[in-house]
Amino acid sequence: MLERLRRPWSDHRAEQLLGAVACLLAIGIILMIVFIVRGAWPTFSHLGLSWLGSGGNLDNQVGAMVNTSAHPAASAFAFHAWPLIWGTLLTAGFAVLFGLAISLAAAIFIVDFAPPFVQRTMKPVIRLLAAIPGVLYGLIGILVLVPFIDKHILTTAEQNSVINVIQLSGGGLGVTILLVTLMITPILTALITDALESVPRAWREGAIALGLNPLRATIAVSLRAIRPAIVAATALATARALGEAVVVSMVSGGKAFAPNPLDGKIFFLEPVETLASEIVRQADNLSIPVLHSTLYAIAALLLFSSFALSLASYLIRLPMRRYQVSN
Amino acid sequence: MASAQPVDSTRPAPPRRRRHGRRSSLRSWRLRDQITFVLAWTVGLGLCAVAISVVVFFAVEGIQYLRPSLLVTHPSASVSQSGSGGFLDAIEGTVLLGAIGLLIAVPIGVVTAVWVIEYGRPRWLGRIVESTVEIIAGTPDIVIAIFGLALFQLGAFSFLSFSEPGGAFGRSFLTAGAMMSFLAIPPVYTATRNGLIATPRQMREASFALGKTRIATIRRVVLPAVRRDIATGSTLGLARIIGDTAIVILLLGATLRLQSDGALGFLSGTGSSLTSYIYNNSPAGDGNAPDKAYAAAAVLLLLVLVLNWGVGRIGRIGGPPIHAERRLGA
Amino acid sequence: MIERPRRLLVPILAAAALAIALPAVAFATQVILLSGSTAAFPLLELLTDKYSALQHHKVKFIVAQGGSTVGINDVAAGKVNIGDASAAPTSTTPGGLDFYPIAKYFVCVVTNKSNPISNLTTSQVESIFEGKVTNWSQVSGSTLTTPIDVESRTSVAGVLTTFASTLLGGAKSTVVTSHATQWASEGLMQNAVANDPNAVGFLSDYYALDDKKIGAVAYNGIGCNVANTVNETYPGWAFFYEVTRGSATGTAEGRFINWIQTSKPAKKIIEKQWIPLTLPKTVGG
Repeated sequence: MLERLRRPWSDHRAEQLLGAVACLLAIGIILMIVFIVRGAWPTFSHLGLSWLGSGGNLDNQVGAMVNTSAHPAASAFAFHAWPLIWGTLLTAGFAVLFGLAISLAAAIFIVDFAPPFVQRTMKPVIRLLAAIPGVLYGLIGILVLVPFIDKHILTTAEQNSVINVIQLSGGGLGVTILLVTLMITPILTALITDALESVPRAWREGAIALGLNPLRATIAVSLRAIRPAIVAATALATARALGEAVVVSMVSGGKAFAPNPLDGKIFFLEPVETLASEIVRQADNLSIPVLHSTLYAIAALLLFSSFALSLASYLIRLPMRRYQVSN
Repeated sequence: MASAQPVDSTRPAPPRRRRHGRRSSLRSWRLRDQITFVLAWTVGLGLCAVAISVVVFFAVEGIQYLRPSLLVTHPSASVSQSGSGGFLDAIEGTVLLGAIGLLIAVPIGVVTAVWVIEYGRPRWLGRIVESTVEIIAGTPDIVIAIFGLALFQLGAFSFLSFSEPGGAFGRSFLTAGAMMSFLAIPPVYTATRNGLIATPRQMREASFALGKTRIATIRRVVLPAVRRDIATGSTLGLARIIGDTAIVILLLGATLRLQSDGALGFLSGTGSSLTSYIYNNSPAGDGNAPDKAYAAAAVLLLLVLVLNWGVGRIGRIGGPPIHAERRLGA
Repeated sequence: MIERPRRLLVPILAAAALAIALPAVAFATQVILLSGSTAAFPLLELLTDKYSALQHHKVKFIVAQGGSTVGINDVAAGKVNIGDASAAPTSTTPGGLDFYPIAKYFVCVVTNKSNPISNLTTSQVESIFEGKVTNWSQVSGSTLTTPIDVESRTSVAGVLTTFASTLLGGAKSTVVTSHATQWASEGLMQNAVANDPNAVGFLSDYYALDDKKIGAVAYNGIGCNVANTVNETYPGWAFFYEVTRGSATGTAEGRFINWIQTSKPAKKIIEKQWIPLTLPKTVGG
């Protein structure tokens, strides 16, 4: 066997062999879809798309599911995922918005304006930030930030004003957005910095020579040239933000509540639960058939959102291809 | 260093500075541009400040709570939280997961990249494989974890984990490691692919001219040329594996100690990793011993720092680079 | 040049994998899976550790958590060998299961240590947990004027059932206000109460008495402690059960349960924080 492997391979055989390994990944993805959709099927077949809607208290719905039997009736599937979807949209939306603004500024700074010394320091720093495990941010969040907000930012009057709807205790939308932003910003910055550096120097210098100030030149020439890279980076960062489970479950307040933007400051102090964090929160209950199916339905929704993101990023990039310098 | 002080609009500029175009012209910029410029500086330095404060925070907590004995003692069940032992098993778990994950991810990632770049026929299949990697990079770890649970609880995979009459347990180092490889494949693939693209055509053509087949060229010429890229990608992948929590929580069984099982030993047994140990000992977990969580966090951060330093090192060792090294992104 | 390290690498990795795997192959062991009650988890960790050591590690345990209902469902479905429950079987419990009590525990109403309240009556507990009273100023005996944060457990929790049926004066677990935060485990609830001066919740003895930031409140003037539970003046107690599918007699699970119920070392462990049984329903040998 080994002897045969040592002998020089024929090109044809090698190509087939390598191709087969490469196709493993595609098979993996297909298996993933099959298994997750299969797990989710009971939920969607019973509830259809009303599953995505709103209605009732989600924690109570999960509580009711826990006490269902091994052969559940259709009525046992009652679940309305809207608070989770809304929570996911809020956290990912805000985090990507903030993250994109910060990382664009940071990347421009690193590539075009920082003195060489700062530039040399910044790159490893960004790489380090991107590599810090999420659970460390979660630990800071739950041990430092949440108690801090509870003691110093949240007032008794604010707690009283919503006491009949929801209890506030520090953890919630604000901390969650802050931590998720912290987690995706380095990735965004790294990718955008890489792209900016690949823009030929002459393009921007030409613009400066034509009288634009250096910042305008960066914005008008370099940023324009790397639009596809920005779109791709944003898609990846959004996927990370959507899927961040453990950190969110640590600081989000422990209640599947849909924060109300009309509440002003309290909005950011209200507890929230995302699709991903709900899976972590209920992971112990996977052996209960109804909840099992519900959690797989949540996973299916996450999986298809990340597919949709990949597809959207591809479609947006298509017309930009003509001007791109990198992808 | 000449442009280290960008905003300096109060004093009149001495004429000599005129030569430093960027700096002297700042005053002539529009106000909006000046503000943006200052913002860019603030944000850049702000990110540095965040990184420094995270490292310093865990360094301080680590010095406060980390004792060498914690690194070499097994965790134990205890009524008092000070007696809950160390986290040797968590460290072993992290190492084991990293090894299994990389053993699967590196061959697949490298071979995929080689096939896509060097062969890639039929073209449509190449495109599919390329976008598959992109999709995997964007798939949330929690979804990968829950997929792994469904897959490995099948009876056919019962040899990979503890099995009970009701079906396989589905949770073990092998199952968690296999799913972890999904996290490491994209960085390995991307780094290898970028290296392959940057390898000059002439190297291959010279080999072909000597009568080598394409696969021999790949093995003797192309792969050695991208060794450093593979190492960089693997290190980035390793960093993602040891930093992941969701897969460990769902797929490793969360026992305090490594538990072995059957013929595959610890590989099909359960355990914990540093990340799950931190999670479990944070107030969010059941252990709730923050001192231990801080100590383990300091160790984990140190591990990440070393890996990170390694990525930087790999970029520099072994003579002049064949191509420009620019890989910040994971 | 290139070939050599690669040829070396594979055997090294293989050897490393074997080195990890082999010691375990040397002696075959039996593994018992447990899942369920988070309240019973600390006790079972201690018991399984001790039992494993006494059996020279020929029997190993994996203790998962999840909540009593999860443990009962798991064992009914054959996914684990033993389910841990912290509440007695009810009408919705699947059939064919045997419940073996292993120890008594009790549930305390708990507040943050900074809250000076030391006693609550049945009606006060009811009005707080049912959400009729939302501010500490409305609770006689309290000096706080802040809103009450009610902490509760998810409905898988046997401790919730025990709390509701003994201290809340009703058998329905739904009487706790829906505004309350529902925690998935005792540890989470413990943390919530420890970090929130306005919180009120309920915890099993191990979690309630272990934490210096938490105060256990007396119930109708009766202190929540081991002594009052042993002499049965404190009403908020129940059994921890080990649940098996069918009779455990003669099986490895049965030997373990029997060991818990009858042996001295087990009794010693239980006495650390819980109350050993006096008249157990034992498993034969």
